[in-house]
Amino acid sequence: MPPKKKSNTVLYAVIALLFLGGVGFLVFQGLQENSTYFLNVAEAKSQDPSKLSNIRLFGTVAGEDITRPEKGTGVSFTLEDQFDKTNCLHVVYTGIVPDTFKEGAEVIIEGDLEKNGVFQARVLMTKCPSKYQKENRT
Amino acid sequence: MYYFAYFLLIFALMASIGCAGFGLIQAWSDKTAGLNILEKVNFLITLSFGLASSILLFALATHDYSLSYVAGYTDNTLAYFYCLAAFWAGQPGSMLFWALSVAIMGSVFALTRGYADCPERTRLWFWIFFFTITGAFSTMLVLWGNPFLMTNPAPADGSGLNPLLQNPGMILHPPLLFLGYGGFTIPSCMALAQAVTNRSDDVRPWYETTRVLFIVAWCFLTAGILLGAWWAYMELGWGGYWAWDPVENASLIPWLIATATLHTVILEKSRGKLTRANIFLISLTTISGFFATYLVRSGVVNSVHAYGQGPVGTPLLTFIAFLCVITLLAVFISKRGAGELENPFSREGALCLTALILLVLAFIILNATLWPVFSRLWSPVPVGLDAKFYNAVCLPIGTMLLLLLAFCPSLSWKFGIQHKSWLLLALLGGAAVAAAAYLLSYQRIHPLVAQFSCGAIALVSLFALVQRLLGQKAGAIRAGSLVSHLGLALCAIGIAFSGPYNQKNDLVLAAGETQAVSSYKVTLKAAETGRGIDYEYLRAVLEVRNEKGELLSTLKPEKRAYDKFAGMLFSEVDVATSFGEEIYASVSGVDASDNMIVQINIEPMVSWIWLGAVVLSLAPLFNLRRRKAKDMA
Repeated sequence: MPPKKKSNTVLYAVIALLFLGGVGFLVFQGLQENSTYFLNVAEAKSQDPSKLSNIRLFGTVAGEDITRPEKGTGVSFTLEDQFDKTNCLHVVYTGIVPDTFKEGAEVIIEGDLEKNGVFQARVLMTKCPSKYQKENRT
Repeated sequence: MYYFAYFLLIFALMASIGCAGFGLIQAWSDKTAGLNILEKVNFLITLSFGLASSILLFALATHDYSLSYVAGYTDNTLAYFYCLAAFWAGQPGSMLFWALSVAIMGSVFALTRGYADCPERTRLWFWIFFFTITGAFSTMLVLWGNPFLMTNPAPADGSGLNPLLQNPGMILHPPLLFLGYGGFTIPSCMALAQAVTNRSDDVRPWYETTRVLFIVAWCFLTAGILLGAWWAYMELGWGGYWAWDPVENASLIPWLIATATLHTVILEKSRGKLTRANIFLISLTTISGFFATYLVRSGVVNSVHAYGQGPVGTPLLTFIAFLCVITLLAVFISKRGAGELENPFSREGALCLTALILLVLAFIILNATLWPVFSRLWSPVPVGLDAKFYNAVCLPIGTMLLLLLAFCPSLSWKFGIQHKSWLLLALLGGAAVAAAAYLLSYQRIHPLVAQFSCGAIALVSLFALVQRLLGQKAGAIRAGSLVSHLGLALCAIGIAFSGPYNQKNDLVLAAGETQAVSSYKVTLKAAETGRGIDYEYLRAVLEVRNEKGELLSTLKPEKRAYDKFAGMLFSEVDVATSFGEEIYASVSGVDASDNMIVQINIEPMVSWIWLGAVVLSLAPLFNLRRRKAKDMA
């Protein structure tokens, strides 16, 4: 026989609390371990450099000094702020470079700012445009 | 002609707002005489959306570049099929498509018996809500997203459709999502109308009259999301299918809420409980569809998907807030469901818990996606959460959901375990799968739990299905639901293997060189360059052999440069499809010393996801047939 119905509300509350408690713990732990700053280049430049480990940066690839290594994957380049071209940061990345990476591409990088002022990227993503803008319309 | 199309949109706007207002006045003065007019105007609105869409399609088909939308998304070399599909490639077009699908579904619903059987006052309120939504669509189309803007002079050629979107999977992905979002509109308008008019018990409730649309919309949304994942896996060349990007999350939130609603509705249908919760949830489903669009289009969070930051953000958010208030008011007015919930240790309790878990998932994903915005409140710079956060939080919760689903069918409606044989089967199926995984040295605990649950769900669902086909009552779970759960188990087991155990390897290979990847040997036979129809390609010919040296497969991934898209490269991956370990190859490029850089991934059981996806998106359709009276438990 099922227990009396009066106790059901309490039971549901207890179960919900237990569940939400567990979820809360997971979320709390997740927040502690996996929060990253989401920054534009300009914002990153204005921060204390010691805080800039494991951050996500948004910016545009500058044209001047895109260099690829002799052997293997990777690229080093200068990342400009989307709105203020004078704010820029040198980035070194060793993984596979996405297809759409090129001068002027908007990219998202994740990694750490090293002591020498170079940003060591672990992740390099290019934004996926839904609309392709031709550079020179004829 | 385009002025005429624009005029049609303005007409839809005027008619929607006018009719919503007129309906309100009628409702206020307790009349229903105007109902006839509203029904007729609805067809006119559908017709004007339809005509406007046809004009846009015609312009796309005839390459009329005087329309900036056509010039922006197509060009002369684009295949005919993709020209038409460019209809939903951009924001204004997709908005029009969504509006059109809502209008069509409304018109179809107006012709059904379910609609005709409703009391007049309910029908009146249905149209008030419905026209509010079509009104919002047409406002956005007219003011902020007009697809009929013209350019003068017209360019000779358009700028073309992004080659990434030139894939059958991608072409169907957006309209499926929109059809899904659109389909939920009708049940929620009906639910709100019945809430406001206080449905009497002899009137068929919204979830019965609109159930076909509800189920079909759910199928569309499911198919749309999973097709997007498949496309990402096959086209983007990074070897993954889900990255917890804001845009992906945006489509998942409505799905989670809709799925929760599907489950709580069962309780109302068979037990008459949770009436208010259901009205709230179905309405929330529709609202979250709008919110998804807001998230995607407003640029509020930075996503990998860079859509133009459209101006529709603020009006959309206002409309969403407005709908939320309306929903809460309606729920508040609505009558309560009958009776208390049974003991939690029952199928009723399990269904409630299912809904709770799904909603909590939706809530967490929503907040995590918006975290960069919220964190501004206390942090000087935005703090975001990456994929690791979602995996650490959502996957355990998902596993809990699977475990619950494994044992839910064995429970009795009221209290305790009813089907001991099913419980045993669940344990057996789960243990078999988990043991097999363990022996094949997939030994991490968390995936094992998920694999155990999948095995349990699969065996119980199959057994119950067979029982049902043999004509036994089988615990009152319908065949379509059983098969859907089976599909879910297939998807989940694919994720539980391919997620934690996939291996990504970047290889730098000279021609003829062989390198070992896991237990395979990969040889670069040749690096070829050549020309396709409208692209140049760099192709790697890779031989994959097993440890004994037997040839397993020859993979030919390519990197392409399309003529139209100078300076951009596109991956064409190649996979050795397998239900075991799938080998995935994509070309990354050539380094400065002419070595080929390729990515070789080992993706265990990833194909099970796609198999499960097909099952999950089609199975609910078996439930469309109305349940026979004798089946009602």
